[in-house]
Amino acid sequence: MSLLSEVWQAVKALGTGMATVHKRVYEDAPTEFYPYVQPDLPAVSVQSLALVENEDGSERCIVCLQCERACPAQVITIERHRNPEGKGFLIDRFDIDLVNCMYCAACVEACPVSSIVTIQDFEMSTYDLHTLKADIDFLHEQSRRSRRWYSPKFGVEIRTDDGKIVKAPPEMQPGGLAELLKPAEEEVDQ
Amino acid sequence: MSTISVDPVPGRSDEMVVNMGPQHPATHGVLRVVIGLEGERITRAVPHIGYLHRNHEKIEEARTYFQVVPYTDRMDYVSGTQNELPVVLAVEDLLGVEVPQRAKQIRTIFFELFRIASHLVWMGTAMLDLGAITPFLYTFWDREIILGIVERTAGARMLPNYYTFGGVRRDVHPEFFKDVADFLDHMQRRMPDYEHLVLENPIVHARTKGVGVLSKERAIARGVTGPVLRASGVAYDVRKAFPYDAYPDVEFEVPTSSDGDTYARFWVRFQEIYQACKIIRQLLEQTPKTGPYKGKVSPRLKISGERYRAVENSRGELGVYVVGDGSDRPYRIKHRGAAFTNLQVIPDLFIGAKFSDAIAILSSLDPVFGEIDR
Repeated sequence: MSLLSEVWQAVKALGTGMATVHKRVYEDAPTEFYPYVQPDLPAVSVQSLALVENEDGSERCIVCLQCERACPAQVITIERHRNPEGKGFLIDRFDIDLVNCMYCAACVEACPVSSIVTIQDFEMSTYDLHTLKADIDFLHEQSRRSRRWYSPKFGVEIRTDDGKIVKAPPEMQPGGLAELLKPAEEEVDQ
Repeated sequence: MSTISVDPVPGRSDEMVVNMGPQHPATHGVLRVVIGLEGERITRAVPHIGYLHRNHEKIEEARTYFQVVPYTDRMDYVSGTQNELPVVLAVEDLLGVEVPQRAKQIRTIFFELFRIASHLVWMGTAMLDLGAITPFLYTFWDREIILGIVERTAGARMLPNYYTFGGVRRDVHPEFFKDVADFLDHMQRRMPDYEHLVLENPIVHARTKGVGVLSKERAIARGVTGPVLRASGVAYDVRKAFPYDAYPDVEFEVPTSSDGDTYARFWVRFQEIYQACKIIRQLLEQTPKTGPYKGKVSPRLKISGERYRAVENSRGELGVYVVGDGSDRPYRIKHRGAAFTNLQVIPDLFIGAKFSDAIAILSSLDPVFGEIDR
């Protein structure tokens, strides 16, 4: 290859590269301006765990230990005692080690009453790891602060402004509820 | 494991022993290669692994089958759901579960989406190793779209824990098929740019053509799979040889190259992105919009028997050998990692090459250390 053709090859390659880059200069920036603009996460996104209470403040959890058994990382610790007045159990201790949690949402899937749910609060960074060893008050506080959460059994639920817990409208639901919504969809098709 | 002593070999006082890694930015994680140098030429190369060892196989023996699946995600962390499939397939075989066709198609769409995502990461980091920063920014931009699609359905971006025995965990997002179709159109516009920046780039030609040639015989003897094997001229692909999920229903080609050099491995990965787009397009037409997504599996499954199942992930044959002893926990799980086996060719390719070529060769092997060290 002569020197001239080598120079021409180099100039051509530079031109192609510059043209390719130039095309993208005018496209919208793909980056998110996070601290100033909160990202709009999908409702199924697993960012943290919370323990939901009923509207009247009573415990939704029935302490069946299913989440403790389902957890692959074995970070959930529950202690319980029999309810002296009536059926069921009462919680003594409900701890989730959110440091070692792998956020696979197996506990959420196992919960029969949708008490433990996934929320979209990801701002959990801390200087002290021990603050992430969540106890029951921490998990309740997480759910009280959040306006929306997800569990496979009930789908997306919303906390309204007056403190009521309602099921989100179908357009907000993820695909997991397609089975439940199937009759309605068929009617629309006809 | 054999090691190189730091002292030079007697009679070869001109040899210098250097450590490449484990903190070298071009080792794609925590690979440490002890390299003997004679001037620019590499005379010896011994890879040391294990800096990211997390004891997956032993932990999985103490977990139920449902709990094993999220652990497998953590192996090859850039290709997400691809790792879950071998375990899921093996357990389904042993249980004799009927998987709905729609679930298989959804699984295959996710599988190929992650293949594109993984190859995009490879393209960016390989070009970063060769000194080009721009493609890295562009490929991560496009990968972000795939991760967004995955997050809307599966709830997590890189470690989705989405496949389960008998199908997938939840139905896809209502706009999933539209999102994927939009992404494929986007990818079709982007691919010519990548061709310009990577495959047609004269600097890439100069750095990769004729560098690190792996012969067909050597590739087979070392047991490499995936794009590395196909770049050496062997058309072995688990998707064709032992079809699983929805692959029997789709048409695609297995791109091979006979050169066996670093450029051929670059080229094969490029063609695989095109083939993945082709597979997803066919599946988007075939998959019903609504329907079953999960077969019936008892939550207290117990397994006896043993089974080996393999899938073709972005790096090659990812296999798993499951032995069940009739309880709800596996007696033994052995993972056969593709990147781990592909790493065995490092001494073959490094010795005799120049030091700066070693960086290019290593990037063309596309190692991921979550899977190699396990």
